[in-house]
Amino acid sequence: MNKEILSLITSCIERGKVDLNSPYPPDLKGQDGAVELTKSALSQGISAQDILLKALMPGMKMVGDKFGCGEAFIPDLMISAKAMYAATAILHPHFETGGFNERGTFIIGTVSGDLHDIGKNIVKMIMEGAGWNVIDLGTNVNTDSFLKTLKDNPKASIGLSALLTTTMVNMENTVKKIKENSPSTVVVIGGAPVTDGFCKKIGADAYFSSPHLLPDFLKNKPSSDD
Amino acid sequence: MVKLPDIREFRPTLEELEISVNNLENGLGYHLEDIPPFYQEKIRTVLNEAVNLVDIRVGYKFLTSEKIDCQSTRIHYGNLQFLTGKIIAAQLHSSQALVAFAGTAGKIFNSWSRSLFDTGDFPGGYVVDLVGSEIVESAVDWLEQQIEQGLSSTAYKMTNRFSPGYCGWNVREQFKLFSFFPEKFCGIELTESALMTPIKSVSGIIGLGENVERKEYPCDICTMQNCYRRGKSGQRK
Repeated sequence: MNKEILSLITSCIERGKVDLNSPYPPDLKGQDGAVELTKSALSQGISAQDILLKALMPGMKMVGDKFGCGEAFIPDLMISAKAMYAATAILHPHFETGGFNERGTFIIGTVSGDLHDIGKNIVKMIMEGAGWNVIDLGTNVNTDSFLKTLKDNPKASIGLSALLTTTMVNMENTVKKIKENSPSTVVVIGGAPVTDGFCKKIGADAYFSSPHLLPDFLKNKPSSDD
Repeated sequence: MVKLPDIREFRPTLEELEISVNNLENGLGYHLEDIPPFYQEKIRTVLNEAVNLVDIRVGYKFLTSEKIDCQSTRIHYGNLQFLTGKIIAAQLHSSQALVAFAGTAGKIFNSWSRSLFDTGDFPGGYVVDLVGSEIVESAVDWLEQQIEQGLSSTAYKMTNRFSPGYCGWNVREQFKLFSFFPEKFCGIELTESALMTPIKSVSGIIGLGENVERKEYPCDICTMQNCYRRGKSGQRK
């Protein structure tokens, strides 16, 4: 029974079925969604941790994998993330300490001088869906803000976003300062003008043209406390 | 010699822009027949809500012909040099006049999108961002129509529009472009990093002349792999 309900929740996340009233996907109209099934799983005595790790995160992983091979699009990730967000809201009170931070902490922000945030928001959503505790510093974030947040969260990894050629150059100084302060902190970069060559040039650890690859990369290459 | 009004600003309504739902649906990435009705409905809802929230402003400055000198990688206008790169310079080469333009959909889209993301409505936040982009592009389409009408009694035609930050034209050249406009033209300001605010704003130049033409964007020779225009035709609609 446990396995069956967890599998149903996974399917709801993968397909973006938020709750009973959600009209999407059409073939599941009128059926319980991630919210009702998560409540039901809790009432059956399944731990919040198991629901998160064995149902919700696999659902996000499945849609992420589909995205990676061109079978799903950004809007599909958005719908799945909405279902994930709604289900995790049910779980939150059941975690006494830090259950949602299973994978670690990821600090993200759009670099100094840049006010664009849609790309950053998509990465944030994917990282939260993969079980990371995300600290979103917003847009126009200066180097000192990244360093201060890293000081408070020394094992965190950091993601920098920029949309303009004029602002991506600000990544260089931020990466340099982070690495000077904490050489083992993993710093990843992204944004329309950014390339792998630029990433190597400024000493960042990785560049991703597509956000779904990031959780696996960080899982395999965690930052360590210096 | 063609002469348009020196400088003009317009405030078209959202209804006047004839927003293309097709463009919006294409922007989602699906094949048209595969678009979830959920998203089609979301686009309609956001467009309806946007009617009372947008602040659409577009305008242009007419740059008279006698000062223009188009070189292989740059355009001279009086004492000003636009370092457009060879792709844009080639497209503007036969221009006998230029139009510098700017337009915005207004301030609302950033905060609107962010508020939806912050409350877990990721599809809504994404669609709001998409709609904001489409509105400002449509506003400049509309502006192009006004300019085209102004040319209708002449033999002049128009090139595509080109913007700093695209086709090899450095975004920092935005400062030169905005030097043609009065302060806060169309309500748009530039940050130190040449970013336009409101975010949902566009600017650029258009070539006018008897021998210019609107072409496919030359994506095959451009190095900007993530450009939103990549693979799209010269005309948006």
